[in-house]
Amino acid sequence: MESQVAMSEPESDAGLIAACQQGDREAFRLLFEQHKDRVYSVALYFFGGDAAQAADITQQVFLKLFTKIAQFRSEAEFTTWLHRLTTNACVDEQRKLRRLTQFDEATGQRTVPAGTGQEYVYARREVAERVTAAVAELKPKLRVAILLKYFEGLSYEEMAEALGCSKGTVASRLNRGHKMLARRLGHLRSMLGPGEQEVNRK
Amino acid sequence: MFRQHVSQHLSAYCQDELAPPQARRVAEHLLGCQRCRGKYEEIKLGVALARALPMADAPAALWQGIEAALAQQERAGATTGAHAPRRPFILFATWPRVAALSFASLVIAALVGGWLYLRPPAAAWDVARLAGAPQIGMERIGQTGRLAVGEWLETDSNSRAEISVARIGQVEIEPQTRVRLVETRATEHRLELARGTLHARIYAPPRLFFVDTPSAVAADLGCAYTLEVDDAGRSLLHVTSGWVALERGARESVVPAGAACATVPGTGPGTPYFEDASDSFLHALVAFDFRQGGAQALDTVIAEARLRDTLTLWHLLARVDGAERIRVYERLAQLSPPPDGVTRDGVLGLNEAMLQRWKDDLQGKWLHESFPAVRRVWRSLWQ
Repeated sequence: MESQVAMSEPESDAGLIAACQQGDREAFRLLFEQHKDRVYSVALYFFGGDAAQAADITQQVFLKLFTKIAQFRSEAEFTTWLHRLTTNACVDEQRKLRRLTQFDEATGQRTVPAGTGQEYVYARREVAERVTAAVAELKPKLRVAILLKYFEGLSYEEMAEALGCSKGTVASRLNRGHKMLARRLGHLRSMLGPGEQEVNRK
Repeated sequence: MFRQHVSQHLSAYCQDELAPPQARRVAEHLLGCQRCRGKYEEIKLGVALARALPMADAPAALWQGIEAALAQQERAGATTGAHAPRRPFILFATWPRVAALSFASLVIAALVGGWLYLRPPAAAWDVARLAGAPQIGMERIGQTGRLAVGEWLETDSNSRAEISVARIGQVEIEPQTRVRLVETRATEHRLELARGTLHARIYAPPRLFFVDTPSAVAADLGCAYTLEVDDAGRSLLHVTSGWVALERGARESVVPAGAACATVPGTGPGTPYFEDASDSFLHALVAFDFRQGGAQALDTVIAEARLRDTLTLWHLLARVDGAERIRVYERLAQLSPPPDGVTRDGVLGLNEAMLQRWKDDLQGKWLHESFPAVRRVWRSLWQ
């Protein structure tokens, strides 16, 4: 089928969803390209850096999205579904894995994305690896909240919608998640640059 | 100023999620409260640490897998025609054409009516609604329905149903499940499970009831079991009584009660295992079967294997070769020496008769260990 979407410039989700609903395979691919890294990152850090697991989850999420694409009436509905599917897929997979096995330090493929530079990059990777491990030890509800906030960039209200809970619950989960990270990794404070310790308060 | 401490609002405060008056009150409280300032520093550090996680690039090859699965779903009709362009209705403008069309319609209607009257009864299974609104094809069923060959039964997140499999058993369909009746005749009854979960209870000779999944076929050997298929086509079989064989091409896993087995598209059935095996054993087995875990994973499986795990080791004999097969054999023989007539050379050469004989000998141990409660009851009856 001939593609109905522009190839050269970024397309809005709404346009892509409409094209997907007409069965445009190229639109599927572009929609995947726009969201794949965020979905993959959430899954990667949810499973403590397990790249194979993150790839499986990403495939599951997009397959489900694409088979249900006809049901989305708006872009907002689509993105809410995307976040819900991602978090549910992670939590469900962890439940299944618990029945199959427990996550094992020795055999899991732990990868933290490589960056560029030298000592700075080395320090960044060191911090990222420790944070990855600490996030993986959080309870799933706290872990999901942290990952949605930092990789999907959702507001508390959007997170509440995606997680099916109140804004207060979102705030509480993030509070507990931040606190636990700080308590476990307080010794890394000196490895964070001064700018990195600033928060969003204006 | 907040009279109470503000620690529960600090993440929202850091991330500008409080309404301006509330944010101002938190700021004022922080000025005068050393305890909350300490907690604020802690939350700020947590925020900075979480931000240190870099966005990862999804592997480029992911799209190919998704595209292949989409194509497979389309071929299986899973997209239910949502993408098919609608053909415009063509009006015949002239009377002769209308007359010819009417005559042809009458002939066709007569032929179809005759066939409907004379045809043998359609092969179909009874379906009972257990909850919600299960659908057969596009129709919701009432309390009961009939699932004919070729038809799909689908449940949403609130629906459950039970299928009567000819006269040989029942299959319970969990929510979010899609199954199709592929075949039903005296020598073979076959369902396709495209996704979701089913529980089968079959009271029939072996190899009469089959379930096709995207990654393997489950052949009933007289049993009860649960079979799950996820959206990626992977499945997980858990046997609660009797035996089930999972097959794909020449690869077969025979799974007894108390054991489970996963299957993955492209790989087929993994190695069966008992669910009470150690965590490290199970993780290593998953790595060996599906993640190219290689010699390191196999070492862990061999080292951690107990007497019951001879189920896994026996299956592994034919799935490894060379030095690895020797190591598996030695551990298996250490846990349960081969019976008379089964030789080391024969097993290492994959002599079918010897492998079967050793398996027959081991089966007693697998089943014996599977039912400690049943064993106790039997003993108490005879004492």
